[in-house]
Amino acid sequence: MRNAPPPPERPGSATGVAGTGPTSAAVVAAGGGDAGLAAALPATAPQRPEITVVGDTSRAWRIRIAYFFLIAYALLMFVPFAWTVITSFKTLEDSVRLTLVPQPFTTAAWDYALNNLQPNIVQMFFNSFVIAIAVTITNVVLGSFAGYAFARLRFPGRGILFLLVLATLMIPDQLRMIPIYSIFNSIGFNKGVLQMVSIVIVLAISASSVFLLRQYFLTIPKDLEEAARIDGAGHWTTFLRVMLPLASPAIAAVTILQFQGTWNGFFWPFVLIRDQSLWTLPLGLTQFRLVGGFGTNWPPLMATVVLATVPILILYMFFQRYFVEGIAASGVKG
Amino acid sequence: MTAASAARPAKVASKRVGERQEALAGYALIAVPMLLFLVLNIGSILYAAFISVWQWNIRTGPVKFLGPNNYINALKDPIFQSAVTNTVYYTVIWVPLTMALGLFLAVIVNQKIRGRTFFRGAFYFPAIASSAAISTIWIFIMNPFGLFNQVRGILGLNPLFSLIGFGPTQDWLGDYHTAMNGIIILNAWTTSGTFMIFYLAALQAIPHEVYEAAAIDGAGAWDTFRRITFPLLRPGHFFVATVGVIGGLQLFDQAVQIGNVDGAPANSLMTLVLYLYNAAFKRLQYGSAAAAGVLLFLIIFAATLIQRRLFEGREPTTA
Repeated sequence: MRNAPPPPERPGSATGVAGTGPTSAAVVAAGGGDAGLAAALPATAPQRPEITVVGDTSRAWRIRIAYFFLIAYALLMFVPFAWTVITSFKTLEDSVRLTLVPQPFTTAAWDYALNNLQPNIVQMFFNSFVIAIAVTITNVVLGSFAGYAFARLRFPGRGILFLLVLATLMIPDQLRMIPIYSIFNSIGFNKGVLQMVSIVIVLAISASSVFLLRQYFLTIPKDLEEAARIDGAGHWTTFLRVMLPLASPAIAAVTILQFQGTWNGFFWPFVLIRDQSLWTLPLGLTQFRLVGGFGTNWPPLMATVVLATVPILILYMFFQRYFVEGIAASGVKG
Repeated sequence: MTAASAARPAKVASKRVGERQEALAGYALIAVPMLLFLVLNIGSILYAAFISVWQWNIRTGPVKFLGPNNYINALKDPIFQSAVTNTVYYTVIWVPLTMALGLFLAVIVNQKIRGRTFFRGAFYFPAIASSAAISTIWIFIMNPFGLFNQVRGILGLNPLFSLIGFGPTQDWLGDYHTAMNGIIILNAWTTSGTFMIFYLAALQAIPHEVYEAAAIDGAGAWDTFRRITFPLLRPGHFFVATVGVIGGLQLFDQAVQIGNVDGAPANSLMTLVLYLYNAAFKRLQYGSAAAAGVLLFLIIFAATLIQRRLFEGREPTTA
């Protein structure tokens, strides 16, 4: 992983917050000089003359074909979800029929999902939420600590320690499963709420959070820190008052990615949680179908699917940029 | 003269103090995260390697030293062998398929057309939902009387399907012939958007002039893609393939959600990770589970090295 050729770095876009403009154009424009100026250049695209005058009709056709594929694929993305929502308002008999409008329209499945699940849906929301929030907080705090130290502070062993962090990306969770399960068992973390605590500990810090934040800290100009130093601020104050606020786009990306990842997480809850009352939503959803006795009772299952997905959907609608660009940024890790 | 020579050591000393303070601050900031990484990652690999040569009791620890026997037994176990076959089959089909889809979407969305932000968001959409939710939807759609079978009936495609041996109420995920392919399509569907985003980042790193030069030379769209875009995307291909293979070899969620921990139907969804899980939590053979984990790690490691070799080759000169 270490020697993977990283996709060429895009200045100022560790989280891609700089936007999707052709940043490469700015890099090229830098030519032999002022990188700062180049970075400040607006990403101007259409300054080049139209070369393909001849290809105008073929271009029009290309766009038409492109739209055909775009719309077809977008439909493939949405139809299953739309079908899920429609089914959640159907009766069981109607759920295996190809009716677009539920006949009859009923909220019975929703009643069932909201009131009859064991454990209660509210309990599962709570469990998922507590774990996701805790993991998000630890990743933001510990990730920005480590990210800042690895980006900006010099200390012996920095390079090798950072490599060690990156190397953990290659370790499959499943290899860690037996030792971690064994350790938590022997210290008694297999009972009660401690099962949830053990999940939070396992997920408390991920290499990708450290990496994403480090890359962002690297792009912040050094002058700002030095100015703070001259004003007499120590390392801690500089980090907390100057650097951390500047890194807020990266922090937002880590927050979103970690919350979503943990909310949706299946493997660790599946391994570490034994008590039914501590089930998270993904765990409950899977167990209801496999062992919970309503394996093919589709409408309430679909209502539960919708409920489990809505929080992330809301996040996605408001913060789509951070989802997409956080993913792109973690893609620079190489 | 005296003032100057006195000032210099003082300055050096204060610089040294500054350096020490900086180092201390650094260590203080990385202390907790590093501790977690060392214990939970590096430490647990070593611990797993240790457990793997023992008959292990989850409460009391080592019972009997077995040397390489856990490894030998795993490699001889026909279920382990089919787990390897299934996992490799999944990875070998799923990764290229999803890469092709991701690249295709990225190239289209990367054009200057209206609504590209919308489409980019739409294609990434399935990736935001949990595997549990997605698997449940998939099981519903692919069941014998589900949306898929009904729609193909209405579209009149059933003769075509019966030609390749599938009846109108084929149980796609319940039949061992088709269950794994069902998961491949499911995961290609949910992950194509993620790969698209990786490819978009790589596409934007290709300098514009290259395309301008190609246009001046009169290269068509397909030639430009085949001779310029595709080779210049080599770092992107490498990254996506590596991430894909590492993820593919760890297939677990969908296999459990669709086939339960038995890898049903008929072991067709038995993956390496599922084998490991069963060794530990069904047969309570923690030693052999740890051995299977080490083998999985070695397979992932080898696959990553092989990919490095494959993609290193000749570097495109323009990159």
